Amino acid sequence: MNLTVEQAQGRVPVTILSLQGDLDASNYQQIIARGRELYAAGTRHLLLDMSGTSFMSSSGLVALHSLALLMRGESPPDPEAGWRAIRAVGEEVSEGQPANVKLLKPQPQVDRVLERSGLKQFFEVHTDREAAIAAF
Amino acid sequence: MSAVRRFAADLKNLADIRSFVQEQATALQVDPDMVADIILAVDESATNIIEHGYDGQPGEVEIEVRQEGKAMVICLRDQAPLFDPTHLPSPDVDLPLDKRPLGGVGVYLTRHMMDEVSYRVTPQGGNELTLVKRAIGLNPAQGEVP
Repeated sequence: MNLTVEQAQGRVPVTILSLQGDLDASNYQQIIARGRELYAAGTRHLLLDMSGTSFMSSSGLVALHSLALLMRGESPPDPEAGWRAIRAVGEEVSEGQPANVKLLKPQPQVDRVLERSGLKQFFEVHTDREAAIAAF
Repeated sequence: MSAVRRFAADLKNLADIRSFVQEQATALQVDPDMVADIILAVDESATNIIEHGYDGQPGEVEIEVRQEGKAMVICLRDQAPLFDPTHLPSPDVDLPLDKRPLGGVGVYLTRHMMDEVSYRVTPQGGNELTLVKRAIGLNPAQGEVP
């Protein structure tokens, strides 16, 4: 999986992290590690460009959730905690907090995994890059 | 039609496992939407075997893909300690997240993507997980898979 980082300016500074390739159990921790680096460098609002993500397994769900926690200054969960590991994303939405991680253009397979897992409702999904940046 | 391939129990081989299943599904002219479901189910199952079954120990995952009538059948065999993933409870995703039982996200997705998931201990004493997707042949030029 190739990761590329861009910076954009909306109402707030937004980091765009593009995930290109397959996101599976062999590399999801690479995404989390990059999220740690970005947070340490000052990123607080992250747009995940998934237009080039051709495959995502449940490991990818853990990565997405971990990024959401990292951007809030919290520690990523134990991936083995299963559903509990992704619970805080729902709590964040239900508390009315603006999501600090948003998704851009997930491909059909990725969208299907989000939907089938019941997690799509907890991620703000955009199809337009500028609109996504402006939404933070 | 039947094809068997063995993979070292290493997460780096997941991409090759997915490619193998993709090739076999293409040969069977499986509907593309179903192919995506099947590949995800096999990936999740292989991940569980490698991560939790072998748990860092060396080993192999054998994958057999075969056609049975109008169904595509995938068997994953391994020699890791015996474990039946079909006995894990299935969460209700309509429940709020904090009401769902812990664990089993991959197993849940596998069950949801396939028509049938079963487990047995092989005569050699290993694990065998069988995934079945029915009514796969939808290519009008070829007609249904016999």
